[in-house]
Amino acid sequence: MSEAPRDASRLNADLAQLRAALQKLEPPAVDEAALRARFRAREQQRAQEAVSERAGGSRRLPLAAAAVVALVAAGAVTFFGLRGERPASPAVAAAVPEAVPSAVGAFQPLLSSPGLSPSAAYSVVRVRIPLSAFAVVPGSQQDGSIEADLLVGEDGLARAIRFNEADALRVSVADQ
Amino acid sequence: MDETDPAFGDRIDARLLADIAAGAEQAFVELYRRRHKDVYRFAFAMAKSRSFAQDVTQEVFLNVLENASRFDGAKGSARAWLFGCARYVTLDRLRLERRWTDDMPADVATHDSDERLAADQRVERLHAAIARLPVEFRETLVLCELHELTYAETARVLDCPVGTVRSRLHRARALLAAMLDEGAEASTDAGTKLGPLEARGVCS
Repeated sequence: MSEAPRDASRLNADLAQLRAALQKLEPPAVDEAALRARFRAREQQRAQEAVSERAGGSRRLPLAAAAVVALVAAGAVTFFGLRGERPASPAVAAAVPEAVPSAVGAFQPLLSSPGLSPSAAYSVVRVRIPLSAFAVVPGSQQDGSIEADLLVGEDGLARAIRFNEADALRVSVADQ
Repeated sequence: MDETDPAFGDRIDARLLADIAAGAEQAFVELYRRRHKDVYRFAFAMAKSRSFAQDVTQEVFLNVLENASRFDGAKGSARAWLFGCARYVTLDRLRLERRWTDDMPADVATHDSDERLAADQRVERLHAAIARLPVEFRETLVLCELHELTYAETARVLDCPVGTVRSRLHRARALLAAMLDEGAEASTDAGTKLGPLEARGVCS
């Protein structure tokens, strides 16, 4: 089956007319707000999927915890290194036994953290923080450390902290 | 650079696709503004239905959201890639709609056929005839003749060799000429012209 020359030119002319008519065809008006909403919904879904994948990869959580501990430890080492060898305060050293019974308070959000979300997953990392890492109170002892729990997000950033109250009490007594 | 230059326009589209893949909302809106008419007109040319074309357009851009990162400029133009998405969605919906319209009362199934593309009856008959072509000839003709894609671009969209595009186009034109001749004779004999309602009936 093939077109006769006369048919071909007529078909071309008709197709050109249809092409022109199609070019004039206007789709319904676009609701850009709906488009943007759809895009955001999709991006949000992607972000949630990414978080779920991260949470599924259990290898990352210990790494984050290790990173926090390492940072705290590094801070302590640096501090004591800069200050030189100083014996721990006898009062504190004597007051802190080998095994401290856990007596914990409520988590307090860290000022610099992006905040807590009830839908997000966190892990608790127990650390010992040198007292020198805190703001210095005139006349207070800066030696020793205090045990604390850090609430760490899936991105590895600490969001909140709580102190072992038994430790806090001992430090407080030692200061007096 | 001239915005009407296809190569320049394609670079913009490719850039927008990359930005969409990276999460840029404005790029998505911009690509929609630039290309939704192409997608809508392709779907309309294939199915001769405005509501069908609207649904396809929406679905294609949802696919773009999902798959923008899969676009590879080395394999073809962004425009061809978009037409490929549009073709995929269109064929999928045509298959669904064929089943669907079989179960529908005639007056509902032909709801959109009152829409007229143009006042010209010849153009109307031509479009109706295109809608009755077998789909592999129809899509080739729509891409090459109505959207003026090159043979190479059409081959990319259809995922077939350029030679196949040429032969399908030749066959599509021959079928179309025969259908229009038959339609003209029938309308002369009956004193009526082949309208969109009849075309729909034959198509389904």
